[in-house]
Amino acid sequence: MTLTLHVDGPRWREHLVEVAERTPGLVPVAKGNGYGFGLGRLARRTQWLADRGVGTGQTWGDVLAVGTYDEVAEVADRFHGSILVLTPWRPFGAALEVDPAFAGRVIHTVSRAEDLAALLERQPDARYVLELVTSMLRHGMTGRDLRGLGGLTARGRLEGIALHLPLAQGSHLSQVQRLITDAVSADLPTRTLWVSHLTDSEHERLRASYSDYTIRPRIGTGLWLGDRGALKVTAQVLDVHPVERGDVFGYRSRTAPKSGHVLIVSGGTAHGIGLAAPSGDLSLKSRAATLARGGLDAVGFVRSPYFIGGKQCLFAEPPHMQASMLFLPHGSPVPAVGDEIDVRVRFTTTSFDRVEIS
Amino acid sequence: MSSRQLAQPLTLRAVTPAEHLAFIRTQPSASFLQVPAWGPVKSEWQHESLGWFRPGADGEEMVGAALVLYRQLPKVKRYLAYLPEGPVIDWASFTDPDARLGDWLDPLSAYLKKKGAFGIRIGPPVVTRRWSAAQIKEGVSDPAVRRLDDIAPLERTPTGAAIVSQLHELGWQPQAAEGGFAAGQPQYNFHVPLTVDGRAKTEDEVLKSMNQLWRRNIKKAAKAGVEVTRGTRDDLAAFHELYVHTAERDHFTPRPLSYFQKMWDSLTPEEDDRFVLHLARHEGDLVAATISIRVGQHAWYSYGASSTEKRDVRGSNAVQWEMIRSALAAGATVYDMRGITDTLDADDPHVGLIQFKVGTGGEAVEYVGEWDLPINRPIYAAFQLYMKRR
Repeated sequence: MTLTLHVDGPRWREHLVEVAERTPGLVPVAKGNGYGFGLGRLARRTQWLADRGVGTGQTWGDVLAVGTYDEVAEVADRFHGSILVLTPWRPFGAALEVDPAFAGRVIHTVSRAEDLAALLERQPDARYVLELVTSMLRHGMTGRDLRGLGGLTARGRLEGIALHLPLAQGSHLSQVQRLITDAVSADLPTRTLWVSHLTDSEHERLRASYSDYTIRPRIGTGLWLGDRGALKVTAQVLDVHPVERGDVFGYRSRTAPKSGHVLIVSGGTAHGIGLAAPSGDLSLKSRAATLARGGLDAVGFVRSPYFIGGKQCLFAEPPHMQASMLFLPHGSPVPAVGDEIDVRVRFTTTSFDRVEIS
Repeated sequence: MSSRQLAQPLTLRAVTPAEHLAFIRTQPSASFLQVPAWGPVKSEWQHESLGWFRPGADGEEMVGAALVLYRQLPKVKRYLAYLPEGPVIDWASFTDPDARLGDWLDPLSAYLKKKGAFGIRIGPPVVTRRWSAAQIKEGVSDPAVRRLDDIAPLERTPTGAAIVSQLHELGWQPQAAEGGFAAGQPQYNFHVPLTVDGRAKTEDEVLKSMNQLWRRNIKKAAKAGVEVTRGTRDDLAAFHELYVHTAERDHFTPRPLSYFQKMWDSLTPEEDDRFVLHLARHEGDLVAATISIRVGQHAWYSYGASSTEKRDVRGSNAVQWEMIRSALAAGATVYDMRGITDTLDADDPHVGLIQFKVGTGGEAVEYVGEWDLPINRPIYAAFQLYMKRR
């Protein structure tokens, strides 16, 4: 009854080490659903990376980045290093409830001048990074805000400046250069730069031009999901029913349009199956594909993320909470109850019942 | 400067060349492209002197100056207002977070807009990064290093960064000078510092920071009996002849003699050492000739020429050394060898120039660079296009 993420352990770990080796200062990111693996597992894996780094004299994974303050507790016991919280600190909510047991390990992200004053008021020895506003216009300070901080940055422990860049569209370097100039203009007592979403060649350029800076690349997707070949998702076939044209089935008592089989497979809306997040891909081709899927819907059946024999299956009706119904037209190979079939999902929106690492 | 002072509004208006010069004389240094006598040198451009004023305890006080060159567009009465290596304002004040560049530039753009400018170009003479001679030397021998930007600088200046940051905020556009020399003033320059720990260096100290080759060549020239003298206006012709010869050899386009005469006529009367012609002779033969310029504590090596014959007597090194000694004697704090390209690629033809300059033991500096503020966007865009296609 399970939707399972199978991980080719040796291949996955080899990929993690390979990314770490070509990314000095790597800061793994574990947030949300833990990229499908779960936050706890990623925290342990980061500790494993950090230990390997220490062995080779490299800094990888001495810091783990999480998305929110609520995620801190989930990683704090499984990972021993510092924990960077990516959501900016605010003088309200979960940020004020950090367990004193690991408050000293937390690095706060500060994106407003008034927040820095308030944070240092509550926690005079707070560790923090200053986030600069990028073209994403999410959170962050401008050059003028930074210059206005004055003596505040001498207090607590300023661990660097942080940039949250948009996904690559052309080169980021000129923007990064401009943002570092803003930081230099404020004469900040730090030479550490926390960045995300730079390509390898951009990192290389940055490390050359700014070798007086320590660069801490934050990487999530490229690290944990960078080698898709090491990852495989399967669902189990729970039941198989032959149907003839006109037979009634499902919650909504639909009728089969032709003869074939109705399959009940594991995985439903509780796992994120059938809940499509906007893909962000705005190409003409993908928009045409969306239209085509809409067309299928109108005729009756919608394409599902389940694959049998490499062929994409159709939903017989919308997914249920923990299982889905598929329709196999007559002539297709029919799996047996208990067989595992492939599922292609977005890892960041799927909750797996089980993660099996070989 | 206190915040209260900064809060005083600045006004801007045209001033006479005499007022302009009087202000320049109160400054430790200013670019020679910003002194009133530079205006007439660029005779194909119109020019004007401007002054910034702040209300003080005893009336108004002049706190900034600019030489504006107006370049007219063909057929329309619209101008690019150009302030080469200017304006002359208190750039150092921008380390104060309350100092707003807009307080200076807003009245400037309002004034120039009324004068019919379609765009403004400035070039704050403020250093953003420095690299040492040793770093450059290392960079040239490292095949992975191709440009200055590939090496972290010795220093990044908060003042330079604050100006860059504020120019971006105010909507000015950097005129990136990629690679070689662009149309405007060079963004990368080579400086020989003439002070150490806040005091003037001795001649010996300056010599000691030079590389062995430079020291040997200076000695060699002295031994060979090379004599360096100051030239008169009449000697400009001999300088020019050698300069044209140098241009042919080194493949650059020479300026006409009349340009140097114009410089002499306009700059020489303004101040001692404002414009000096140096001639290096060996047994009566002119082997090298240079022009130096000084404004306050800043001395420039401006133009140079050398003969192809008698290179072994090292006239070039002799005349450079003489210029450095004069700068020291005049109390200059920096000997400025002017533009370099940012290349550190050993195969680039420009690298020879930087290597020659590096021998003095000075440093490469990056300036804030030239920035434009478009006022009339369609005309400005057309102008940019025209400059690109030229």
